[in-house]
Amino acid sequence: MTMPDKMGHFGIYGGRYISETLMPAITELEESYKKIRKDKDFLKEFNFYLKNYVGRPSPLYRAERLSRVYKSDIYLKREDLNHTGAHKINNTIGQALLAIHMKKRRIIAETGAGMHGVATATVCALFGLECEVFMGKKDVERQKQNVFRMELLGAKVNPVDSGAQTLKDAMNEALRDWITNVKTTYYMIGTVAGPHPYPQMVRDFQSVIGREVLSQAKKLPDILIACIGGGSNAMGLFYPFLKYKNVKMYGIEAGGRGIKTGFHAASISGGKPGVLHGNKTYLLQDEFGRIKEAHSIAAGLDYPGVGPEHSYLADEKRINFDSVTDEEAVEAFQNLCVLEGIIPALESSHAIAYLEKIKKEIRGKSVVINLSGRGDKDMHTVSDYLQEKK
Amino acid sequence: MNRIDGTFKSLRHRNRTAFIPFISIGDPDLETSFEIAKTLIDNGADLIELGYPFSDPMADGKVIQRSYERAIKNRISINDAFDFIKRLKEYRDIPVIFFTYYNPVFVMGHGFSLGAAKAGIDGVLVVDLPPEESGELTKHTLKQNIYQIFLLAPTSGRKRMEYVLSFARGFVYYVSVTGVTGIRKAVSETVSEKVGAIKKISGIPVGVGFGISGKEQASEVKKYADAVIIGSKIIQFIENNIRDKSLMLRDISGFARSISSVL
Repeated sequence: MTMPDKMGHFGIYGGRYISETLMPAITELEESYKKIRKDKDFLKEFNFYLKNYVGRPSPLYRAERLSRVYKSDIYLKREDLNHTGAHKINNTIGQALLAIHMKKRRIIAETGAGMHGVATATVCALFGLECEVFMGKKDVERQKQNVFRMELLGAKVNPVDSGAQTLKDAMNEALRDWITNVKTTYYMIGTVAGPHPYPQMVRDFQSVIGREVLSQAKKLPDILIACIGGGSNAMGLFYPFLKYKNVKMYGIEAGGRGIKTGFHAASISGGKPGVLHGNKTYLLQDEFGRIKEAHSIAAGLDYPGVGPEHSYLADEKRINFDSVTDEEAVEAFQNLCVLEGIIPALESSHAIAYLEKIKKEIRGKSVVINLSGRGDKDMHTVSDYLQEKK
Repeated sequence: MNRIDGTFKSLRHRNRTAFIPFISIGDPDLETSFEIAKTLIDNGADLIELGYPFSDPMADGKVIQRSYERAIKNRISINDAFDFIKRLKEYRDIPVIFFTYYNPVFVMGHGFSLGAAKAGIDGVLVVDLPPEESGELTKHTLKQNIYQIFLLAPTSGRKRMEYVLSFARGFVYYVSVTGVTGIRKAVSETVSEKVGAIKKISGIPVGVGFGISGKEQASEVKKYADAVIIGSKIIQFIENNIRDKSLMLRDISGFARSISSVL
C-alpha cells in the first residue's frame, strides 16, 4: 500500500488535526503540491537549484579510519557539505518553488537550533521572498550566531516567549501567524511532521538523499543509520530503501541525560501516541495529555514529537528506533573530528554514536550514516559541555 | 433531546439571542473560577463554555494562552474539571460546552466520554479536531448524547460549509475573524454575509465568537446570529483584578449583565 492514504494517514498516524480556519489553506496546498509533484518543469527547476545552488549530489564518502576501528565498511552521506551546512536546504528549495507557484510571497517558518530558519532565510533571499522566522526565546539566546545569519539574509526573527520558549512553542506561534495571515502566507515546515501534506512533501524533497546513495553505493548497504528529531534527514535517507527488505534501518533519537531521567527528546523510545501540531504521532506527554518539554544537547533534536511516518514504521518494526545520550553523542562528535577530520553537527553525532552500540552487529557489514549537518554551530555548546565535565 | 437544542428552542420562542461566555477551569484558581462561572450564570449566561487547559493552545491568542498557563500551574486534572462541571450543574443546569484541544481527550480514549457524560457535559468543542478526523471521538460521544460542536471560519467556502454543517449538532460556531482568539475593536463586515450563507444551507443555530468584547458588537451580531460567544474580554477582567477577587466578580457580573441586556 502506498503511504500516506488520501487523507494523509500512515496507518493510524498522520492526518490533519488543525483549526477550521486553516482547512482551506491546507487543501489548497495539497492540491498545488499534487499538481507539481510529478511535473517535469517543476522537477527540472528543483534539480537545477539542488545541483547548482546547493551543490548536489553530496559525496558518499568511505570513512577509512572509522571503518578500520569498527572492522566494517562505513560510508558517510555528506549532507554537511551542502550550502548552509545541512540537509535542511533540500526541503526549503522545494517548498520555496511551490510557494512561488502558489503566488504566496510571504514565507513563515519555525526553527529550533536555527538550521531550518537559516535554510528558509537563504531560499527567501535567493527568490526574493519576504521571510519571518519564529524561534523560542531560549533558542534565540543559545543560538545567537544563527539568529544573526538569518538577519543578514534579510529575514525577520521573532522570539517566542510563550510556553517553554523552544521549538514546539515556535511552531505554535508560526501556526497562529498562519491562521491570521493565511491568505497571503506560505508556512514552510522544516521536518516530516505537521498536517498532511507536509510529512509527505518534506519526505519527497528530502528523499534525494537516499536516491543519491542508491546510485552512489556499489552495492546495497546492509545497514542505514540516521538521527531523528522530527525525522526529515532520516526519512530522506530511508525512504528510497524501504522496499529493500534486507536493508536494516536504525533511527536514533536523542536520549538526553537518559530515557529513565525523563530529560530526553526520544518521542518513540520514551513517549506515546497523541496529537500535536496537526498530526497524530508519538509524543512526549504527561498523564493528562499535556506536552512535555524535550531535552537534548542537540537543539535540532529538541522536539517532543516525531514525523508520523516514523511512528508508523516504528510500530511496523521496519525501522529500529533507539537512543543515545548527550554524553555518547559528544564522545562520537570528538571521535569523528580526530578520526576523519570532520566536525559533525551534534544531531548527526547521535547517529555516529550508535556505531559503538551495535559494533558486534556491524562487523564485516556495510553501513551508511547520514551526516546530516556540520558542527560549526555547536562550538560553544560542546566547549561548554566539556568544561562542565572537567 | 440534548439540552443545547432545548435551550436554543426556548430562546427562539422568546426572541432572544444566547449569551455564551467562556472561561478556563482553574483560572485564576479552581474555587475562584467556580465563583466566576456561577456569577456568569446568575447574570445572564444561557450556555457556558469551559476551557480545559492545554499546554500548546495553537488557536488561541495571548489572553487565553495566559489563562491556560495560570490554570496549568494550578495542576488542574481532568477529574478536577469533571467535578467542577458536576458541581456547576447542581448549582444551575444550563448547557455546558467543554472546550479543549484534542490530545488531552485522545489520551483518555472512551474514558473521556464516560466521564464527560457523568459530569453532565452537553457539548464538546475540540478546536484542532475537524470533522474529517472526528470519527474516533464521535463514536464515543454519540453513545452518551454529547454533541460535538464544529467551527466555520471566514476562509470556509460554500462546499466546506456544506461539509462541516452535515456534521454539526446543537449549534455551529462561526469564527468571526481570520485569526486566533482575542479582542478586536469591531466585528468584521463579512460576518453577517457569512452567517447568512450558513443559514441558507442549514437551520442549525449559529454562534459567533472570536473578537467580540462589548455591547455594541453583541447587539450587531444579534441581528443575524443565534448566539454571542465571549472569552478573552472576560479573561481580561480576571487578569486586571488578579489580586482582588471581589472586584473581579463585580466587573464580570456587570459585564455579563450589560451583554445580556442587549441580547
